[in-house]
Amino acid sequence: MRKYLVAAVLAAAVAVLASAAFGSTKSPARQSSAGSALVKCGTTRTIGVAAPITGPAAFIGQQQLRWVKYYVKRWNAQKANAKKKIKIVQGDTQLGVDTAFAVKVAKSFASNSKLLGVVGPAGSQEVVASTSSYKGGGLAFVSGSASRTTLTDGHTDGNRRGFFFRVVPNDSIQAPTVANYISGKLKAKRVYIIDDQETYSQGLATGVETRLKAKGVNVTRDSISQTDSDFSSKIAKIPSNTQIIYIPWQLVPQAQAFGQQLKAAGKGHIKLFGSDGLFAPGAWKITGSYDSFFPIASGDPIVKAYAKAHKGDGEFFGAPSFVAAQVVINAVTKACANGTATRAEVRKLVAKTKLKTSILGLPVAFSASGDLKGGGFGIYQIQSNGSFKRIA
Amino acid sequence: MNDDLRQRLGNLGGLGVALLVWTIYAVYFSPTQGWVFFFQLSVNGIILGSVYALIALGYSMVYGILKLLNFAHGDVYMIGAFIGFGVLTLLGGPLNPAIPVALLVLCMFVVAMLGSGFLGLAIERFAYRPLRDAPRIAPLISALGVAFFLENSALLLFGAQFRNYDGFDLISYNGIHLGGDNGVFIQYLGVIVIVGAFLLMLALLALVHWTRLGKAMRAVSFDREAAAMMGIDPDRVIAATFFIGSALAGAAGVMFGLLFSQIYHLMGFLAGLKGFTAAVVGGIGSIPGAMLGGLLVGLIESWARGYLNGNVSDLVVFGILIGVMLVRPSGLLGTPALKKV
Repeated sequence: MRKYLVAAVLAAAVAVLASAAFGSTKSPARQSSAGSALVKCGTTRTIGVAAPITGPAAFIGQQQLRWVKYYVKRWNAQKANAKKKIKIVQGDTQLGVDTAFAVKVAKSFASNSKLLGVVGPAGSQEVVASTSSYKGGGLAFVSGSASRTTLTDGHTDGNRRGFFFRVVPNDSIQAPTVANYISGKLKAKRVYIIDDQETYSQGLATGVETRLKAKGVNVTRDSISQTDSDFSSKIAKIPSNTQIIYIPWQLVPQAQAFGQQLKAAGKGHIKLFGSDGLFAPGAWKITGSYDSFFPIASGDPIVKAYAKAHKGDGEFFGAPSFVAAQVVINAVTKACANGTATRAEVRKLVAKTKLKTSILGLPVAFSASGDLKGGGFGIYQIQSNGSFKRIA
Repeated sequence: MNDDLRQRLGNLGGLGVALLVWTIYAVYFSPTQGWVFFFQLSVNGIILGSVYALIALGYSMVYGILKLLNFAHGDVYMIGAFIGFGVLTLLGGPLNPAIPVALLVLCMFVVAMLGSGFLGLAIERFAYRPLRDAPRIAPLISALGVAFFLENSALLLFGAQFRNYDGFDLISYNGIHLGGDNGVFIQYLGVIVIVGAFLLMLALLALVHWTRLGKAMRAVSFDREAAAMMGIDPDRVIAATFFIGSALAGAAGVMFGLLFSQIYHLMGFLAGLKGFTAAVVGGIGSIPGAMLGGLLVGLIESWARGYLNGNVSDLVVFGILIGVMLVRPSGLLGTPALKKV
């Protein structure tokens, strides 16, 4: 009798495990149920914002969150939306600590039945880790900064077509733009590349390194971490005859400190070249340095008003999250036109987005893979007054 | 010569031989050869190590007197850096200082040291003193709690963004060339940090060895109950120890900000760990040990960054911590724990 009892318990356990395993592989079924569940829109519509609000990359996440809140505040204040309101649910992904936080946020968003779409997450590694949770919940997620090229190729980092969109051009556009400018326009022959050991940085650094080497440029590669402040020993290694140091980093004060320490070490004649993560007029102010960035409409009244409201700091790295919020909220609003909406409807409407203008200075529409259509990168140079002047 | 002294001298001799072997290898046999490169990295390491040494002193003093690992110490250092930045901003900032630069820098140090010192007092009074007779794990957990409390308070108060001291703009980008224009270069700011750190360390040594408070600190460290029976108030001595250790951490925070510019709410975590490593390598509880440990950690970190590609300096630093613990569990200048039988 006891044997039978043990066998029955074991069989039940195996059945539970099997159903759990099958459950995870049959995610499309769960997707469809979560994605097709009707949500009563009412007067308050809810979206999620997944960003690193605390942790080592909080600097980025808080910028993104402020830009999203800025869009929502403007939207809620519009007369046309007098009887409607957008509500934000924040999720702290703690980029740079562990992608498990991003997954936890994605799961909580997916299980929040009121939530119709998501802005974020910020990091490419977070996108990869949290995709299955967003897909499981049938949610569209629109990132304002994840630029790893392979996120949208449909196979290398997993398939997220129809769910994931980004409002920034990917690294396959930025790296060639930078490499062509360094070798073609600046005619540099000796380049030092330092990544900050993050996915974003390493992808760009490798892209530029490969292209420069193919053009016969002498390239040396090194790295720092995002927690480093003392660069003196790295700088001591850099030969004085180096022409360009490429630093595709995300932390502006780190680049500023690096530039100051470079100058203090007597190597201020070497030009720095940053990436979109360092586009911060007034904060990164090493005169003569170069930077690549998607063309932002810095003269746009919205951008100016934001900067004015934030002590003159435009926090441009977070600006695409404003556009991401715009995309998600437009889709939610359209889906809610008849009083109810499904996540699947929101996804379809996000995919069909067509903004004629945006604060990025270009129209916003997505390719079938979720990439921004037609986004390019410009090259800027830092002027003595701290402003960034577009030169290419 | 007693066994204890003989062992310490032996440790120092071993360290000297290891450094000599490393120097010969680095200069003549490493892929990046040359005296200039080696000494440039060494100078950078001594500057960084001076900051670590100041942090390590706080760890060592508190451990020496309470046998407590004060894991909140790194965050006191962070608060010190923010206080210094606040003074700098209030007095016009690095580009337009409202008072002479020397006076401004002095104000930054004094206010940061006082602020951090009083913070240390508050931490001791509210987080550790009530747990004085509790099991040793309790104050350790309390220390971790204080560390997180300070980090998140700083996040709320100052925000998550990094702040730049722009120390070179404030003081000078110039410095001293040793061995000609292509020789070793030390910025004036680096000189100020090294000299400042050593003066503070000497002042601490003088305080511990030649004042009544210092004598009381040594007595409490040796045997708290016996010291109390001799008329010493251990609570006051412990509070003074926290004040001094925290003030040194505040000075280290300002030095770090001036040298490396960027400060942020999580900066205390890794610096605290490095300071702790320095204290352990030098021999926790020993003031000269903390200084030696700080300099060693700074040098090793600088050499690792210079001679090895990538970012493996922390791996090397903490690897050496493990190595020292295996070979010399009481550190280079530490005293082996007495066993009462």
